[in-house]
Amino acid sequence: MKIHISYEEPALRELQNRGSLLYIALGSLFSFLILRLIYLQMIQGSALYAFSEKNLLKEIRVQPPRGIIYDRNHRIIAENLPNFALTLSPQYIKDLPPLAHEISEIVGIPKEEIINKFKKDSRINGSYRPVTIKNFLNRTEINRLELLKIDFPGIDIEELIFREYPYRDAFAHAIGYISEISDTELPRLREKGNRIVQQGDVIGKSGLEDRYDDFVRGVTGISYVKVDAKGREALGESLKFLGSIEDLPPKAGQNIETTLDLDLQLAAQETFLKHKQTGALVAINKQGEVLALYNNPSFDPGLFSKGITSDVWSKLINNPDKPLRNKAIQDHHSPGSTFKPFIALTSLQDGNIKEKTLVNAPPVFMFGNRPYHDHTKTGQGYITVTQAIEMSSNVFFYKQGLATGVDKIALYTKALGLGARTDIDLKNEVPGLIPTSEWKQKNRGEPWQEGENISIAIGQGFVSVTTLQLATAYMAIANSGKVYKPMVVKKIMDTENRVLQEFSPTLVNDLTDPTKPYYVSPDNFKIVQKGLFLVANGERGTARGAKIPGFTIAGKTGTAQVRGFSADQVYANCYNRPKKQRHNGLYIAYGPFEDPEITVAVLTEGSCSSKEAVPLVKEFYESYVKKYHPQAITQNSEPDTKKGKQ
Amino acid sequence: MMRHPGLSVPIGQNTFLKRFSFYMILSVLMLNAISLINLLSATTNIAKHLKGIFYSQIMWIAIGWALYWLLTFVSYRFFVRFAYVFYIVNIGALIAVMFIGKTSYGAQRWIDLGFFSYQPSETMKLAMILVLAKYLSRFNPSDGIGFRNLFVPMLLAGIPFALTAKQPDLGTALLILAISASMILTMRVRMHVLVTGLCVALVAGPLAWQYGLKPYQKNRVLTFLYPNKDPRGAGYNSIQAKIAVGSGQLWGKGFRNGSQSQLEFLPEKQTDFIFCVLSEEYGFLGCIATLGIYAILLMAILQCAMTAKDLYGALLSIGVFSLVIWHVFVNIGMVTGLLPIVGVPLPLISYGGTSSMTMMVGLGWISSVFYRKDMF
Repeated sequence: MKIHISYEEPALRELQNRGSLLYIALGSLFSFLILRLIYLQMIQGSALYAFSEKNLLKEIRVQPPRGIIYDRNHRIIAENLPNFALTLSPQYIKDLPPLAHEISEIVGIPKEEIINKFKKDSRINGSYRPVTIKNFLNRTEINRLELLKIDFPGIDIEELIFREYPYRDAFAHAIGYISEISDTELPRLREKGNRIVQQGDVIGKSGLEDRYDDFVRGVTGISYVKVDAKGREALGESLKFLGSIEDLPPKAGQNIETTLDLDLQLAAQETFLKHKQTGALVAINKQGEVLALYNNPSFDPGLFSKGITSDVWSKLINNPDKPLRNKAIQDHHSPGSTFKPFIALTSLQDGNIKEKTLVNAPPVFMFGNRPYHDHTKTGQGYITVTQAIEMSSNVFFYKQGLATGVDKIALYTKALGLGARTDIDLKNEVPGLIPTSEWKQKNRGEPWQEGENISIAIGQGFVSVTTLQLATAYMAIANSGKVYKPMVVKKIMDTENRVLQEFSPTLVNDLTDPTKPYYVSPDNFKIVQKGLFLVANGERGTARGAKIPGFTIAGKTGTAQVRGFSADQVYANCYNRPKKQRHNGLYIAYGPFEDPEITVAVLTEGSCSSKEAVPLVKEFYESYVKKYHPQAITQNSEPDTKKGKQ
Repeated sequence: MMRHPGLSVPIGQNTFLKRFSFYMILSVLMLNAISLINLLSATTNIAKHLKGIFYSQIMWIAIGWALYWLLTFVSYRFFVRFAYVFYIVNIGALIAVMFIGKTSYGAQRWIDLGFFSYQPSETMKLAMILVLAKYLSRFNPSDGIGFRNLFVPMLLAGIPFALTAKQPDLGTALLILAISASMILTMRVRMHVLVTGLCVALVAGPLAWQYGLKPYQKNRVLTFLYPNKDPRGAGYNSIQAKIAVGSGQLWGKGFRNGSQSQLEFLPEKQTDFIFCVLSEEYGFLGCIATLGIYAILLMAILQCAMTAKDLYGALLSIGVFSLVIWHVFVNIGMVTGLLPIVGVPLPLISYGGTSSMTMMVGLGWISSVFYRKDMF
């Protein structure tokens, strides 16, 4: 051997004798580590464990199913449907094109579109967030996709909740729509003390969905989702360390039963669409329950639940006929001749005229040196108040307006609910206006001119009302003075439809209460009712063409001038003007005359004449009679056909 | 042929078996198992290109064992003879890495060899052990090592230290220094040398801080000292690592249930931070068991040193002992927040070809020392 063992030996012995030092070094270094591990894992362990949980939990707010909305016969008009959506999870998908091809075959979306959407979404959200390819899969699609799942990983069919409005645009303005809370709404709701809503929540934006949002919305649940350090949702079935933190399940919203009648609502829509009119229809029963509330044009609130595209949205807001507007309560307009019965009531109660008082109604009435015209070239001659209502004489009412004056008119019309919010349980109602001399002095700085009483008397000038107010006031006339607050919601119920809260009709005013300054004697109501009967049934009635067999209605037509045109322009060349400057048609009618149940008010925008509104009311009543008085039709159909044969 | 040490004839069957260190073999096998279990867990939610590292590690383990057995039967003296050749070739590789090295995480450490990335600073640790063992076994005055005897070892350690620090890889550079110092200190060193050395270290430390460290290196040290100063930035890794270790508590969260490890809170969880995965999923008990296995391995190495038949073999064993213990200490110290974050793998558990090979070659030498302890 070449190695010099003799030379090395002593040094080796010495080194090996010192070996214990190395054991000590090993012991001390490891002790350090063990002490450190004891500190971290045993002493700080639970605190660091809590940190690790916080690290990986992300709160996800789970939207609750909203309450179901029923019509008055417990038929669903807004509900929640499961939405089976096809999603793709990018992290599992290796080869997209063949998969996109297969999917395209099943759901009918072009392959390129699928690939583009997939690429765009996974670029934005990362590869752990599934990309939604198609919502609302049908059963066939689901079955075929389930089969596809076997060959291609990463396909998923997610079950989501979707707010469904089965009657599409029929109830749009009454029910309203829902959509995600906006950046501007959140602070506003917070200011009002609503601390529950948060960014990303879905809330009602209009109609009942908005007004009863707190009831219908339910309580948002919280689901804890595992995320990685980059905040991406982590998928991994084996992560079971969440035992200590429980999800908070969402609580479904409360159901509501409305006063609306599905059949009548559909009838309202049908007649508007048939006659291609834009405007509003309100039908209320004698205690103020709204049976139908329809505006045309309308929109499909389901578009908003699906997530409205900017394209559709801009079409909606740029449409000159304003489909999003609840015209019945959001638009105020001149009542026109529909205001005349109120003048009659005022004048009768004021004692200017009696039932049989004859008043001369020539074609032109001179006040000072200014002529005020009737809508006819002949005038009506000497007529009573009921005839004046029947034929809608202007001059008769000019004279009554002058005789009573604006403040008397205001006293009674305001008592009937005109010119102020009715406080219907829908949002964004406008008040309209019933002027008084005091009001004018205060707001215009001018005294009331006597001549203005003439405009007021035919529902022009400052007078401005909503279609809903007209319906309410006419119902009050039919009720002989009982004014009820209009209402849409009858009951709030829990998810099992047990009634939590029931709303009863609210009597706002009773004009036949002798203690009140606005007292009107029942007899005077009878006289006005007689006039309204003649409008619909009299030989010269303006709405005599709209009789309903077996069912007597009474009402009043009106052609309401759009503000800003002088009386002379009212009836001239209406059809040549742009639609927005044309006169509105109005017809408000209640029935049956003998025992009023329902009042219908129809506004046809820019129709130039009330003749356009009359058939809508007629057709609506036909539907009403068909449903509520079917015996009236059978009793009267036979004599009718006989008449036809004669 | 007869003179070839590998052909030494065993005396009998029983003595033949006694020539293998079973504690070493057993502990390494257990560490292999720990490595694979934790890699299996760490690769659950890992980036696609890293999915295969579990199988790569099996391959490295196999190659490692092949080297181990090969080196067991080749006399370590063979490597003594060529110690300086290895050293110089390795220095060459370290210089080469400055020019043709791959840059990753801001440091040039690897040479791409096609099938794997070779990290010269890892094999440098072995070359360092070889040359120091050779030098110190030749020049060890009986009255202890004086300044004159220190010049060459310091030069031998200084060159790779400077080259590695330049990459920059301060962690590995300091490890080379620590291994060298450990080997020198086990020899008899004169007292005044020790005192002077300590003083120089005290002076050199601040000077190195001021002039020697790159900003990111200073940052790491500062982050280590004040990790909460910037929890989302520089201190992030250290804090997340501590949370991972601590949240394992006594029993751990179980296989693949470590939220910190599974959900990408940890950087490099398959290599330098593998101990986080282990301690989060198996808790304090798992950590103690692992440290216990390391202790068995280290004691087996020390046994080789104590029974070595020559100074060279003893020094080689001590070199490998310090190689393993410093890696274990620095790596676990770093993930538990005892030390700053430096890129030091956990021996035999971290994923990595060069690291595994380095350890198995070192252990193969020691096995060879043990195999030949009774041979003359």
